[in-house]
Amino acid sequence: MSGTRIPGETRGAAITVIVDGAPVPAFAGETLATAMIAADRTAFRHDTRRVARGLFCNMGSCSECLVTRVADGRRIRACLTEAADGLEVRTDG
Amino acid sequence: MKRVDVAIVGGGLVGCATAWRLSTAGASVELIEAADINAGASGQNAGSLHFQIERRFLENGDALAEQASSIVALSRIAVEDWRGLETALNADLHVSMAGGLMVAETADHVALLERKATREQREGLKVRTIDGDAARAIAPYLSASVLAANHSADEGHADPRTVTPALAAAARAAGATIRTHSAVHAIGRRAGGGFTIAGNGFSLHADQVLIAAGAWTAALCTLANLHMPLYPVALLMNATERTAPMVPHLVQHVGRRLSLKQTHAGNLLIGGGWPSRLAQLPGGGFDLSRRATMIPDSLSGNLRAAIDVVPAISRLNLIRSWTGVTAISADQLPIVGQVPRMPGLWIAAGGSAFTLGPTFARLVASAMAGGPSEALDIVSPARFEHLNGFMG
Amino acid sequence: MADILDVAIVGGGPAGQAAALHLAGRGLDIAVIDEQPRPGGQILRQPPASFTVPGWLAGRGYARLKHQLARFEALDDIRWLGGCSVLDLAPTMDGLSLLAATPGGISRIRARHVLVATGCQDLAVPLPGWTLPGVMSAGGIQAFVKSQRFIPGERILLAGTHPLQLIVAEQVVRAGGEVAAILFAQPRAGMIATAMRHPLIALRRAPDLAAAASAMATLRRAGVPVRFGAPLHAISGMDRVTGAVTGMGEIACDTVGLCYGFVPQSALPRMAGARMHKAGPAGGWACAHDHWLRSSVVGLSVAGEALGVAGAAAAAAGGAIAGIGIARDLGLFAPEQAERMARPHRHAFDTHRAFAAMLDSIADPTGHLPRPDAETLLCRCEDVSFETICGAIEQGGSANAIKLATRCGMGACQGRNCEPALLRLLGDVGRGDDPGFTARFPARPVAIGDLAESG
Repeated sequence: MSGTRIPGETRGAAITVIVDGAPVPAFAGETLATAMIAADRTAFRHDTRRVARGLFCNMGSCSECLVTRVADGRRIRACLTEAADGLEVRTDG
Repeated sequence: MKRVDVAIVGGGLVGCATAWRLSTAGASVELIEAADINAGASGQNAGSLHFQIERRFLENGDALAEQASSIVALSRIAVEDWRGLETALNADLHVSMAGGLMVAETADHVALLERKATREQREGLKVRTIDGDAARAIAPYLSASVLAANHSADEGHADPRTVTPALAAAARAAGATIRTHSAVHAIGRRAGGGFTIAGNGFSLHADQVLIAAGAWTAALCTLANLHMPLYPVALLMNATERTAPMVPHLVQHVGRRLSLKQTHAGNLLIGGGWPSRLAQLPGGGFDLSRRATMIPDSLSGNLRAAIDVVPAISRLNLIRSWTGVTAISADQLPIVGQVPRMPGLWIAAGGSAFTLGPTFARLVASAMAGGPSEALDIVSPARFEHLNGFMG
Repeated sequence: MADILDVAIVGGGPAGQAAALHLAGRGLDIAVIDEQPRPGGQILRQPPASFTVPGWLAGRGYARLKHQLARFEALDDIRWLGGCSVLDLAPTMDGLSLLAATPGGISRIRARHVLVATGCQDLAVPLPGWTLPGVMSAGGIQAFVKSQRFIPGERILLAGTHPLQLIVAEQVVRAGGEVAAILFAQPRAGMIATAMRHPLIALRRAPDLAAAASAMATLRRAGVPVRFGAPLHAISGMDRVTGAVTGMGEIACDTVGLCYGFVPQSALPRMAGARMHKAGPAGGWACAHDHWLRSSVVGLSVAGEALGVAGAAAAAAGGAIAGIGIARDLGLFAPEQAERMARPHRHAFDTHRAFAAMLDSIADPTGHLPRPDAETLLCRCEDVSFETICGAIEQGGSANAIKLATRCGMGACQGRNCEPALLRLLGDVGRGDDPGFTARFPARPVAIGDLAESG
């Protein structure tokens, strides 16, 4: 667990995204980035030295949070992508 | 006033390589560059080492294609020059010569490929025509739409970011002076031979001058009161994000504008001669000091051609598109050699000068020192001497 | 959508909203485009519609902005294009052309007038360890709290020179999170002295100062140390943040927010070829403009932080001026009428910008920035180290030449993160007049397959 969803507020429906093959709980309306960090998955991609890299700007500008969408192989910005039930991504890119 | 054997105008691949060759041979050389080394087409092109006849020579009818096929003789020499360049410079230029495929998707394209291969074989270039399945056996990333391909085992790519800086470093090490951020303002002939070159904060005497300034060459030739039929063109190039190795070859298309390769860093570079719009001067003329603008149809057309040939590209992100400004000549062939009516003044420009640049430089340097120059006859400025009947 | 819009507004923050409010209701075809799904900008980055958040951003400082947002959301004659990334902006014969990645694919949008109101981003500050997962911009942390209602760490350290980090820390603490400390690299005395030199400016923006004072009080009650003259030297950890090396010694934390100031999001006006000039002390490029906030490109106006970072209130005032100016250019207002309408906004614009200038001096990161070490990556996209870049700088050459030689700035962020650091280094060796990187398409990474369909 890294980070905390603020208690006492209503979030969207409980859903599950899949990160590197493992189920990660999320709530409708959350970004993929929120769901990943909340599940202590702070590595979003790997650099040219294969070192783990995390989200940086959280506003779509820096492209540090690119993850690979398994369905089509595209690299998408996790901070702008809304979590959807069953959405599967990888962080090995 | 400072005196040198050779002044070179233009700090691109050809200028730096010629400076290296000349100073290695013991000549005193000053290279003058208006901006930074490698700032023009030498650094902006996509790094293809293409030895097959370029598609641009094939799309304007058989007569031009026939004339242009003579360039194959230079391509054959260039294969050897590129094979030896990293060793000669003791530098990693990311030269990869894993082969190149020029593909066809229609029966018309296949016919074009076959005619092209016949010309190339006649000129002694090792090229074979293979069917789509054979092409996919070599290059499994190719789409099912590929019906045939010409395969050249020598083609490939090198890194335009590193080639020219390595040549400049070698030239400096061999004693050449390299002056950047110095625009040339005057090129004058001296009584009794030689030239005076003057510009921002410098002037010097040179026995011989080489103008190798890409798209700026024609304007510099006007300083010597010469016409040079070179026309600037702005070409679009595109880079994808890095991805795992998937395309080891140079991929070109015989019937559509496409060149494609994967750099050592993992980015796929997509180009092939799609135009951008040059900036214009009020009252007419092109303004090469301002950035060319992208033409939307060029972007989509180029990317569609890439996806049609290599479908896996579709999923990759485009991270950068840019424009490089080069020059084409009136008959499409490069213009390289001495200007007959102005002994001592040499030109090297007019396209294809990444692949052929090291060869141009070696041959020009040798000819300047009095060596043979027959290999350059097909690209000599002599063929445009009629334009300078009232100049000089 | 109309073949050619009258006005396209890029950015649904305070500036874009204010412009839209002045242009709506006059029979114009207007679209407002934003990368976030809901309007608000970063300052009012709204929670998703599926969340219910009682008392969201209840602070006094947000009241006026929330009021404007509510009026904007009630407009029924503008088209809201949320979740759309603008990739390109280019002048055409009859206006400007935008290319946008929308949820439904690539879309070309043509407009007679374009207002760029794209806001700012945190200055990216390279220091040892800054590429570890867990290091974020302070703005990024704040966006998690405001919009996602999520505290992105168990123990957060904020460090920098900008007072905004007090507000971020207060929001984290009020949401129940733990802040390890707030470190200002600069001494407190200098900050106070700067403010005291401009008492009238400070007084006019008393609510902002009150908000900062209230944040300090909250943090004190929560036992969060706020330290001045306490620089951040390095961030430590193996594959994630575990601590920070600071002027106060080693501090354990799992998240670090960097807060050294803000730079304009200038990609679009630069792509369009607008004349730019250096922005504030944090760096970046601001768009040159005239009396109606029109840029040097015909039909292109700019408001908000893209003019130079000055905060939400200045952005709203500027948006109003730009909106009135566009309506004037469209012939909807006579020049005298437009001038009359703009007058109060001009007054507010000037007042807020004077405050911003004072804040710039208080928060000035110059001289307080951490030192990268040889291996620190300046370019996070292409993994180009400080050492490599210093070597390239020694070779001479412009920022573009260094980009070509080292790949610094060639990655997916288009140099947004590394350009200010590179230009600072060039400035240090007397090459401060460098025009920076040539802006390149696309402003955001976009799938080739989508673009190929855009012709």
